Amino acid sequence: MIATVSLCLLLIIPLVSVFVGMGKGGEMWQHVAETVLFQYVWNSLWLLLSVSVFSVAMALPSAWFLSRYRFPGKTLLQGMMLLPLAIPGYVAAIVYLRLPEMAIPLLVKIRTTFGFEAYQLAEALLRQGTLSLLLAAVLSPYIHFPLRTAFQVQRRQLLEAAQLLGRSPRSQFFTVALPLARPALMAGLALVCMEVLNEYGAPHFFGVPTLTVGVFRTWFGLGDSASAVRLAGGMMLLVLMLLGAERFTRGRARFVEAQDSSAPAECPPLKGRGLFWAYLSCGVPLLIGFWIPILVLIHWSIISWDAASAWGRGSRIGESFLIAGLSALAITLLALLAHYSRRLHPLRWLKGLLEIAQLGYAVPGVVVAVGVLLLLGPLGFSGSLVAIGLGYLLRFFAVAGRPLQAAMLRVCGSMDEASRLLGRSPLQSLTRITFPLIRGSFVAVVLLVFVDILKELPLSMLLRPAQFETLATLSFGLASEGRIQAAAFPSLLMVLLAVLALVVMNRVKST
Amino acid sequence: MYLAGVMHIKHLLSLISVSCVSLLGAKEPLLVYSHRHYESDTALFDQFTKETGIPVEVVKAKANALIERLKAEGDKTKADIFITADAGRLGLAADMGLLEAVKSPVLEQRIPAQYRDPKGFWYGFTLRARVLVVSPERVQESSLDYEDLVKPEWKGRVLSRSSSNIYSQSLMASMIAAHGAEDARAWAEGLKNNFARPPQGNDRDQIRAVAAGLADVAVVNTYYVGLLHDSPEKRDTDAVSKVKIIFPNQDNRGSHVNVSGGGVVKGSPQKEDAIKLLEFLASEEAQKSFPNGSREFPVVPGTPLPELQASWGDFKSDDLPLSKLGELNAEAVKLMNEAGWQ
Repeated sequence: MIATVSLCLLLIIPLVSVFVGMGKGGEMWQHVAETVLFQYVWNSLWLLLSVSVFSVAMALPSAWFLSRYRFPGKTLLQGMMLLPLAIPGYVAAIVYLRLPEMAIPLLVKIRTTFGFEAYQLAEALLRQGTLSLLLAAVLSPYIHFPLRTAFQVQRRQLLEAAQLLGRSPRSQFFTVALPLARPALMAGLALVCMEVLNEYGAPHFFGVPTLTVGVFRTWFGLGDSASAVRLAGGMMLLVLMLLGAERFTRGRARFVEAQDSSAPAECPPLKGRGLFWAYLSCGVPLLIGFWIPILVLIHWSIISWDAASAWGRGSRIGESFLIAGLSALAITLLALLAHYSRRLHPLRWLKGLLEIAQLGYAVPGVVVAVGVLLLLGPLGFSGSLVAIGLGYLLRFFAVAGRPLQAAMLRVCGSMDEASRLLGRSPLQSLTRITFPLIRGSFVAVVLLVFVDILKELPLSMLLRPAQFETLATLSFGLASEGRIQAAAFPSLLMVLLAVLALVVMNRVKST
Repeated sequence: MYLAGVMHIKHLLSLISVSCVSLLGAKEPLLVYSHRHYESDTALFDQFTKETGIPVEVVKAKANALIERLKAEGDKTKADIFITADAGRLGLAADMGLLEAVKSPVLEQRIPAQYRDPKGFWYGFTLRARVLVVSPERVQESSLDYEDLVKPEWKGRVLSRSSSNIYSQSLMASMIAAHGAEDARAWAEGLKNNFARPPQGNDRDQIRAVAAGLADVAVVNTYYVGLLHDSPEKRDTDAVSKVKIIFPNQDNRGSHVNVSGGGVVKGSPQKEDAIKLLEFLASEEAQKSFPNGSREFPVVPGTPLPELQASWGDFKSDDLPLSKLGELNAEAVKLMNEAGWQ
């Protein structure tokens, strides 16, 4: 237990130090506040809003059709809707950067016909619209899945009652189904917003400097780490506000779900125009968020094979695989021990502490990195394996912890307790009973964390030792040098590994 | 995974072979921290090893990350040489006390004074000019200055990459050196007002956009034109065929140039060998070889140019001592932010 408490504290301290560090502000703060701060905040808020709208528009209809109706290909589509999660935002950005470029002739036409102002507007709309749409597509599963579950467990009788009262199907949806699913929608939306704030590569590539981009620029462009810390602290406040809003709605969700225990009813078949809409609603996020990016990446990987093999030489990507793997294993083990010890000691404050320690998943990678640097920098550990390991632990502790916690609850029941009552030590119970029971989940979680580490960009960029390249930093580096096609292969490798992890996760979940 | 495994084994093998060599009493490898990422650099280091028997190991990363690393390692660093693609960052490293001033008659004789640090903290090896790439169809002027781009007739016709990039910052630093802070800020603001779109992408993207007709002039480094020319992608070679280079400010101070260069790391375990490597990089052989792969210019006067660079014509370069770029960097960033250059 002492170990768990100190682990939690280790995870909390860097985040607290960001807050404490906020007070100082650097010598350039005045300058940042007067010149670029408004732009950073404005871009972030605007991006949050537009991605939210688009992602709900993509996730809501598809979740409705896939949960309430029957149509050919439904099972396949249900599984596939997860796939956009395998594409990190910056990888999608690398692919879709070609879009504004391909549209240049059109923009030139607009400029010659309608003048410069119209052109500027079209250019901004096209660029920022593409950015919002691509982020919305790859993040839409975060909303789609909670919504789908919510629609599935809703009591049929409620809708039937509405029907009996003479409501049209559309009205049933908007007055009954949607309000009931609102907590699920909010939970998904909160995750989407956190991912948008976390994103560094995509807004950087599309020339939309957000707060995350601002932290990088302030730190490295202006060389003012104290002001960068203050920006990071501001971002964290924003995240806490989002979390608070989500908690607020979730409080009511329990009330709704607790009522439902009836078996889901038979879904009616869909035909004609309804079928068309169903396919369209699933097709749009899947095409934008997965199939187009992956096909383009495959195409580019093939035509730029020479360049792709060139980066392999000299870079030490193999080491980063090893380190990502070891970190994933270590993080999962620590999460297992922490949650196991919580099972042993069902104390309120311990639970609270663990919850706070798991906040790292919500905090943007760049803020986590700043926190770790504040803690380890004075000890001379910045840009070391220790720093990057702690960064990953902080950010992905919850990614490992939550599914393990759920698995222990689901699979073990009180079996481990029984084992202890029969005289086994806690450690023996863990190794003999609990661990063998949740082995499948454990492996899946290690894989999930491993892939998350490979995909992580801002944190890896700030904390990595100098020669350390991950697939993410390599893709980003090549793409920001304009070698877009050469960046395709490492990106593709990362996406394929992520798909593999998702498939395994899905398997484990369904068994 | 397979690939990663193979590479890991390769790395282990190289480690083993290096340690075997040292057991046999051969030279310890020179450790180079480099921001440059050209295949041709690797070939040059191999050539150096062949001629001197001194093996070279390279750690590649962004300049800022390398500076942070050198700071963290302090006296215990194993690094011998620090190489970046910008004089500003070299100056910064020197100011932080990360580099050691070295004297070498060979280097002093071969490298012109403005392209090296007066005290010998760093030496430039290759030159890149920040030039104007124009569409010959839409731009009749045969000579232009940086200062011309802020005139009203260029409204909506100019492209540049972001002010967060070091090349933009160094150009701005040279504007401050030439005109003073106030005028330089006014210039940056005027330039921003004439942008055809908010800054995005790198120099290659700006060249492609001019070729596609989005704008008529872009501020870019010369070697990007060369790299697009060498690109395996047809859209790149097509883009290059539609643009022309104008070296700006030929009738006054000359075009802004910067160097890629290096210095000996303070506390280097093998200072003598490190100097040898620097001298090798300034040798006729290396100077002739650099421009082929990276499309930069050699820094040593009189070195014959590859056909492509020769076709761009002779140009006059700004003789501002490049150590100034480092000194003025922070001010340049501030002024560009104030001007609203994203």
